[in-house]
Amino acid sequence: MLRIIGQKLIHLVPVLFLVSLATFFMLELIPGDPAAVIVGPNGTPEQYAQVRDELGLDDPLVERYLTWLGDTVRGDLGESSVPPVQDVREMIQSRLPVTLELAALATVMSLALAVPVALYAAYRAGHRFDRSVNGVAFGFISAPSFLAALLLVFFLVFHPDVVRWTVAAGGLALTAWLALRTVRLAQEYPKDQGRSRYLAMGLGGALAVLLVTLYLWGHWPELPRQGFVRLTSDEGIGANLRHAFLPALTLALTEAAVFMRLLRSDLISTLQDDFILSAKAKGMPVWRILVSDALRPSSFSLVTVAGVALGRLIGGTVIVETIFNLPGMGTMIVDAVGSHDFRVVQAGVLVIAVFYVTLNAVIDVSYAYLDPRIRRGRV
Amino acid sequence: MAGSELLLDDAGSDVGVGTDDGTDDAAPWPLDGTRLRLTARPRRRGHRLVVGLAALAVGVVLVIAGTVVLQEVTAVLRVALALAGSGLVYLGADRLGRFFLGEELETALWFSVAWLGLVTLAAVGADLLPLAESRDVSKTLATPTLLRPDLFSEHPLGTDRQGLDILGGVVHGARVSLVVSLGAVAMGMAIGGLVGITAGYYRGRTEGAVNVVADSMLAFPPLILLLGMVAVVEPSVRNVTIALGVLGIPTYIRLSRANTMVFAQREFVLAARALGARDRRLILRELLPNVALPVVSYSFIVLGALIVAEASLSFLGLSIRRPNPTWGNMIAAGQTTFEQHPHLVFAPGTVLFLTVFALNRVGDKARKLWDPRRSRL
Repeated sequence: MLRIIGQKLIHLVPVLFLVSLATFFMLELIPGDPAAVIVGPNGTPEQYAQVRDELGLDDPLVERYLTWLGDTVRGDLGESSVPPVQDVREMIQSRLPVTLELAALATVMSLALAVPVALYAAYRAGHRFDRSVNGVAFGFISAPSFLAALLLVFFLVFHPDVVRWTVAAGGLALTAWLALRTVRLAQEYPKDQGRSRYLAMGLGGALAVLLVTLYLWGHWPELPRQGFVRLTSDEGIGANLRHAFLPALTLALTEAAVFMRLLRSDLISTLQDDFILSAKAKGMPVWRILVSDALRPSSFSLVTVAGVALGRLIGGTVIVETIFNLPGMGTMIVDAVGSHDFRVVQAGVLVIAVFYVTLNAVIDVSYAYLDPRIRRGRV
Repeated sequence: MAGSELLLDDAGSDVGVGTDDGTDDAAPWPLDGTRLRLTARPRRRGHRLVVGLAALAVGVVLVIAGTVVLQEVTAVLRVALALAGSGLVYLGADRLGRFFLGEELETALWFSVAWLGLVTLAAVGADLLPLAESRDVSKTLATPTLLRPDLFSEHPLGTDRQGLDILGGVVHGARVSLVVSLGAVAMGMAIGGLVGITAGYYRGRTEGAVNVVADSMLAFPPLILLLGMVAVVEPSVRNVTIALGVLGIPTYIRLSRANTMVFAQREFVLAARALGARDRRLILRELLPNVALPVVSYSFIVLGALIVAEASLSFLGLSIRRPNPTWGNMIAAGQTTFEQHPHLVFAPGTVLFLTVFALNRVGDKARKLWDPRRSRL
């Protein structure tokens, strides 16, 4: 175990070094003079000289890199070079939590969506439910996030009544279908062998669906088009979640489709194992076999991919933050690119990349911890 | 408890469970491993013909009703009709296709191929098509602005706030998307592929160095890396292509390295080496032709991802700008008023979605056909 962690750390160092090198030399690639861009066409020669001095553009390249690296490691990321002048570190400190919350929320939501669907799809592999869910998942994966976001805004914010009616109609139809099916299938039970129990379970499920539908009909949430309320603000966690819901849902739909496909195919191969056969032979109920026997050994790759997805989402929230106007890392970088504030771009990109690399390394290590086969074998 | 068994029995009533992915889909349930191709209610062959024809006919009627006939009804209903109609057309075509051409026909795949062909043709022939003006604002002063989509009129997908034709914009946008992403894929494949083959062939220290470089490129989330690159260059077709190409390099490095390692152990390489072939010949004449096929087949999926990346960039206003229309900048321009004029967003959006969907679909199939690690040799 220690050897694996050590190997990962050793591998991490050159990658981080190259990452820092790449972000630093991004500034060097700018055609022309960064100082001239910052000062603008109306700047005086004194201002120009001052900016050159501040950026240290007159020093040799290697020395500048080392100074910058030293400052960065100590947490000094400089100041933004376009007014209003702010400390870059403070900017990032105020914006990173928004992005992190969004990414974490999206991961949780997508897992909550993906796991039950994958379980049922694997159980009914090759059937109508499985096939249609697979098709829908393929569609979600192909939908660019800005398109998904605009579609969600169009229906959930601009035309909530359409969705409300659809949900109500769908809920009622599902209730009726569940009830009818229960009654029909119950006929095939012998009277003394749990027919009433089966009826009670099925009708209870139908009732639950009905209640949820009615609740949603009565309390349809009003979702904001854009903006954000911080978790620490006075309006509390409810307002925060209401503002974060749509952006997180946008991200979650794509991720859920990826997770679903992965978990489904792993589950299908697990379900062909002998221990499942013996569980079936013992007469275990299907849900029990699926949830407590098959799910755990099938979820190794899901854990890894979910971890990687969390990292990727931290960089992938750019579009969603722009559309929903959230004060996160993504909007900071996009705005900075627009206003040629290279310090901020550099710092933002570096922070996200370091975060991403470190997270991936942690996941690799934890994967080895979870799966004994990797721990014992050669990595 | 017993309910589950009844569920299982009920499962048998489903017909013709042909799923498209092969290996993953051996149905694990029920126990005895029947592939459920046996149906509880065997249906007559003619049944499918009738259902298919009916679905196709109703679908066509619905689509025509939604798009052309019912001009007076609300937009939501028309769109719903058109969507339901398209769904039925697909189902009908699926049934009919499988009736005439055999059970194994993958209708969605052929629809995807047809769509990609259509987009490519439109992009190539954009200047020859009789499209209304979509770029020069000074020529559309007399055109009514914000026309709603109306097929069979002069502006089939409507016009935008400056009277520019949306269909024309979509077609010219397809040209930009295809040129940029194809160029980027070619660049990524050429550089990444060669580096990957070299790394996979020599192994050892070369491989280690290449891995570190690829890892550090993958250390940046793709869109962030892209933002960093376009921050420092002028957004032109050439620069965006190069930036996207850089984005594709690490993927191709990994892909071709992995495939090279599979082939480098095979006997024909050993035989060539025994005949005295040098490294250069081994790489270029023995390994490259074999590695090329799986790597190229993966390109459809990369192409789809890069089209999305380009569209995202131009959506953020950091890629090719107006007057040259791209799917991304059309959607971004329409976004501000899309509550009143949803067609400004959803016309280019649908085309973008369908293209990416088709590329993913075709790419999935291509990868399954040509990936040596999946095929049982």
